[in-house]
Amino acid sequence: MCLAIPMKLTEVRDDGTGIADIDGAKSEVNLTLLDKPEKGNYVIIHAGFAIEILDEKEANERIKLFEELGQLNQAGH
Amino acid sequence: MSTEKKLKRIIIEPVTRVEGHGKVSILLDEKNKVRQARLHIVEFRGFERFIQGRPYWEVPVLVQRLCGICPVSHHLAAAKAMDVIVGADKLTPAAEKIRRLMHYGQMFQSHALHFFHLCSPDLLFGFESDPAIRNVIGVAAKFPALAVQGVMMRKYGQEIIKATAGKKIHGTGAIPGGVNKNLSTAERDVFLKDIEKMMDWARGALKIAKDYTVEHLQTLAPFGSFDSNHLSLVRKDGAMDLYHGNLRAIDAQGDKIFDQVDYQKYLDYIAEEVRSWSYMKFPFIKQLGPENGWYRVGPLARLNTCDFIDTPEAEKARKEFTAVTNNKPNNITMAYHWARMIELLHSIEKIKDLLNDKDLQGKDLVVKGKRREEGVGLIEAPRGTLFHHYRVNKNDQIEMANLIVSTTHNNEPMNRAVQKVAEDKLSGQKITEGLLNNVEVAIRAYDPCLSCATHAMGKMPLTIELYDHNGNLLDRKTKS
Repeated sequence: MCLAIPMKLTEVRDDGTGIADIDGAKSEVNLTLLDKPEKGNYVIIHAGFAIEILDEKEANERIKLFEELGQLNQAGH
Repeated sequence: MSTEKKLKRIIIEPVTRVEGHGKVSILLDEKNKVRQARLHIVEFRGFERFIQGRPYWEVPVLVQRLCGICPVSHHLAAAKAMDVIVGADKLTPAAEKIRRLMHYGQMFQSHALHFFHLCSPDLLFGFESDPAIRNVIGVAAKFPALAVQGVMMRKYGQEIIKATAGKKIHGTGAIPGGVNKNLSTAERDVFLKDIEKMMDWARGALKIAKDYTVEHLQTLAPFGSFDSNHLSLVRKDGAMDLYHGNLRAIDAQGDKIFDQVDYQKYLDYIAEEVRSWSYMKFPFIKQLGPENGWYRVGPLARLNTCDFIDTPEAEKARKEFTAVTNNKPNNITMAYHWARMIELLHSIEKIKDLLNDKDLQGKDLVVKGKRREEGVGLIEAPRGTLFHHYRVNKNDQIEMANLIVSTTHNNEPMNRAVQKVAEDKLSGQKITEGLLNNVEVAIRAYDPCLSCATHAMGKMPLTIELYDHNGNLLDRKTKS
């Protein structure tokens, strides 16, 4: 299965592109599918496109889940 | 270890996928002919362990939070497995139809996304063209109306998901035994207002895919193509059914390998092979063995396995589709795009029928029966058949989980497609730009849950490595 980790927009450019960041890992993304993306939004990315803006609460819920996944992976290896 | 560090470890792996460093290695034989091509997919494998011990009713919500690319498919497949656990053998009409509406909404938006943003640049500009233009921004510049349609169709599907599943991505609509909300007439009327426009745009997208495929059939037919078995759910009468049915598998000539198999017994029919070089398993049909039993899933497979489609316009389109291969299964990799657009039209026809169905306003939403310990839920997700299998203990905790996702079913076919392209396009011991482009186009036909299918900014983050028969690296090329 493929996971969808929320990334935070650190840069939104006028040409419909931007930079998304998670934990220091940066990715250049296409933002044309989003309705008024803003710096600081959490987004889900698929194939280079930001496909969804999450509200901060939902994004944090998910990051918490991935954190739990990470701890489990530590324990398992 | 600090939380931050723990987070980092799990985050980094999937992020490489988000960033999309798809990797292909091509192995040559002693005569420098292509012996094998391998597509390396980093798959996350901790999920099954992760959900052990959690209460079963949390699972449909959990999976949709983790799998944000196709959340509705995972949500519904898990809910269907939990229906079995709670003994809900037949849902109420309202519950089943709300779920179907949600599912067709997801299918519509996912297929629209794939077509307009990932595939249409190849079709509109030709897949040998400059990747700097061959992307969605290029499409928006040259075909502005089309780009707007893509965004609006996707939005329409997403609004349906929102109305049937709560919030767009982490809906809570399906619960074990049914759904927790119906569709009000006010909500329905918003969708009915735009339905004809959506039908029209879906017809337009189908026309682009069909005309392109028919016009370029001679070039497309051999491109990344090979004979294969095909697998999907079909309805009892053999109709295409994307939400529910029994398993059917056919061979490359259209003969049935098995039919109307109750998917609760899928383990009697499907097994998975592990190969040392791949994180992702290779599923196969047991009776044929790993060598010959692999199969394709997704739009192409579904068009091949079904006897007919139960909506008139998509059925007419299906007949045109099967006529191209004289009513035999279509094994052309690039025909996935045409098949996908037939399903786009089918989905919007289904949405229209459902919106006009008064059962959507029904108030009887949940059923329960005799509790079971094990349940399997299957659904035809946009990319292909999705399997969810759970065992639940007496304390309502998950004891075992097994998921087979569509990209895994298509693992061997994607490897074959890449191999075919490599055999046809590789000359000498150098990886050319053209080869990279062509490999990317072949992988993208399958719409895998990967980001190496990206068109973003005209970049193709795909690495190809070429090895001689002794395993020495001859060439390596990355586009990023």
